[in-house]
Amino acid sequence: MTLTSLTFFAFVLAVLIVYYLIPKRLRWLVLLAASLVFYGLLALKSLPFILFTALSTWAGALWLGQVTRKRTQIWNEQKSGWDPAARKAYKKQTQKMKRRILALILVLNFGILAVLKYYDFVVEQINRNAGGHLSFLGILLPLGISFYTFQSMGYLIDIYGEKMPPESNPLRYLLYVTFFPQIIQGPIADYQKLAPQLYEGQDLRYENLKYGFQLILWGLFKKMVIADRLAVSLQSLLPVKDEISNAWQLLILLIYCAQLYCDFSGGIDVVRGVGGMLGIEMAVNFKRPFFSKGLAEFWQRWHISLCAWLRTYLLYPIAVSKPFLRFGNRIIEKSRSEQELPEDSLWGGFTFIQHLGRVLPGAIATLITFLIIGIWHGASWQYAGYGVWNGVILFFSMLLAPVFQWLIRRLHIQTESTGWKVWQILRTAVIVGLSFTFDIADGLMDALRMIGKCFTPVLGPTTHLGTAVDTGLAGADWGVVIAGLLIVFAVSLYQELTGRKVRESLNADSAWVSWVLTLGCLIAVVIFGMYGPGVASGEFVYMQF
Amino acid sequence: MEQFIANLKKIKRGVDFEKETSLIDDGLLKSFDVIQIIGMIDREYGIDVPPSQILPDNFNSARAMWDMMQRLED
Repeated sequence: MTLTSLTFFAFVLAVLIVYYLIPKRLRWLVLLAASLVFYGLLALKSLPFILFTALSTWAGALWLGQVTRKRTQIWNEQKSGWDPAARKAYKKQTQKMKRRILALILVLNFGILAVLKYYDFVVEQINRNAGGHLSFLGILLPLGISFYTFQSMGYLIDIYGEKMPPESNPLRYLLYVTFFPQIIQGPIADYQKLAPQLYEGQDLRYENLKYGFQLILWGLFKKMVIADRLAVSLQSLLPVKDEISNAWQLLILLIYCAQLYCDFSGGIDVVRGVGGMLGIEMAVNFKRPFFSKGLAEFWQRWHISLCAWLRTYLLYPIAVSKPFLRFGNRIIEKSRSEQELPEDSLWGGFTFIQHLGRVLPGAIATLITFLIIGIWHGASWQYAGYGVWNGVILFFSMLLAPVFQWLIRRLHIQTESTGWKVWQILRTAVIVGLSFTFDIADGLMDALRMIGKCFTPVLGPTTHLGTAVDTGLAGADWGVVIAGLLIVFAVSLYQELTGRKVRESLNADSAWVSWVLTLGCLIAVVIFGMYGPGVASGEFVYMQF
Repeated sequence: MEQFIANLKKIKRGVDFEKETSLIDDGLLKSFDVIQIIGMIDREYGIDVPPSQILPDNFNSARAMWDMMQRLED
């Protein structure tokens, strides 16, 4: 049962019927039962892993809550009797206790993720480079392990930070961890946004069913009509990428960009559509990333829920940690000067050293975060390369930001002009497109060679032997892909320019036009969608994480 | 408070810190600016802002940041 199969939609229909038929206060139990059945059907052997994570996080959060409650109680009792020093000492003592609990649960859960994901890679390196004979674990990664681990650990850290009280009911918490639409490829949910919607029981609303259904169809269109066709083409092109000309290699990168975006965002649309039909608004994961005007902006529009998680629970804690802040402050202290520099100077009103002290903590934390993003993508050097590529570009863009501003002023560039914005979008697309080389190459060195090839003179559309390249798709299929991509582009452009959702605009303007287009989308999926024997439509690129 | 606003203006030029009340929600401050502001709070006021306090509500205005600093000092 995959997200694009008829079985899945029959399952969703059954869940919808039961969910809306039973009393509101029991509806969360339907979601829990459905989530456990769904997970069991897809990956029964992985069930103990997800149950362990849910149970350990639930118990750890309760423990943290208990320590916090006790501290508050003692504080209140001793309000007038304690001097500030005694209060501070007690606070320090409880913080230490809380840190230990947090560390225990984090190490346990991230430890499982790290061992399952990276043990075999480390063993391979040892065996290859040090002549070891260690045996591999050979365990298949539990379904959705990254997503449910990140989501659970985010919850635990929030409880540690006293953002909310812990959930006392283990079954309700288990629903938050296992909620079936998001288990395959996210989005990673914020507890305070998702959990109340899961627990309260939603009313049956026509708008929710309609918008949810339309979003599912739109996701299926992107996934089955475009992404799955392009996947077939990549299957033909990637094995011969070393024999084909540079022009074709650039085309492969373009095809992969389109496939990855339509695959991942299409899958997320299906997930959010199912959530929508249940009256549950799930996190937005994509905001037209290829309209970004810079790499930092791209990462605020691509895989938004993962990036938000990493920003909250990794980037900020590193960047504002005492050693990082002290490091920055020490540099600034060395360059204290009474002389005020003009704002339009090269380093934005600061000396170079002062500027370094201000930006280095954040820039280094960004570099570390992206290295971790890279390694999260896969246990291999090429994914580390992906992280370094993004991290290094962002590092230098932060470091040199005032210089770029200075240059823009000196060259009198109109930053609000359409031409400049289009240039920024294209420049970002090239940087992102080249970074995907690390995804499709056969190793780190192959990725670097492919990037190098993109910058050497372009040859014709043939192999080095002069024979025609087989793209794996017939002319008509390319017609479908190009038409599909034009539709996706037109919808994205409309959203980008107006800031409105197409579904809401259409329904507000004319309900029947909206239904005709919905029907058109359904027909397009049925006629042009890739499914049936021999087509791996249910597989999503991000499932493997 | 005045000096605090002057310090904020050095970090992010062209933002009206006296009036703006949706600095994060409207995208006027990015994560990188927030990190620099926390560095400045630590440097100039000796107040340690923990990651759990990095919430939009605490950084949407200069007043909200100032109030957060008072809370953390207590």
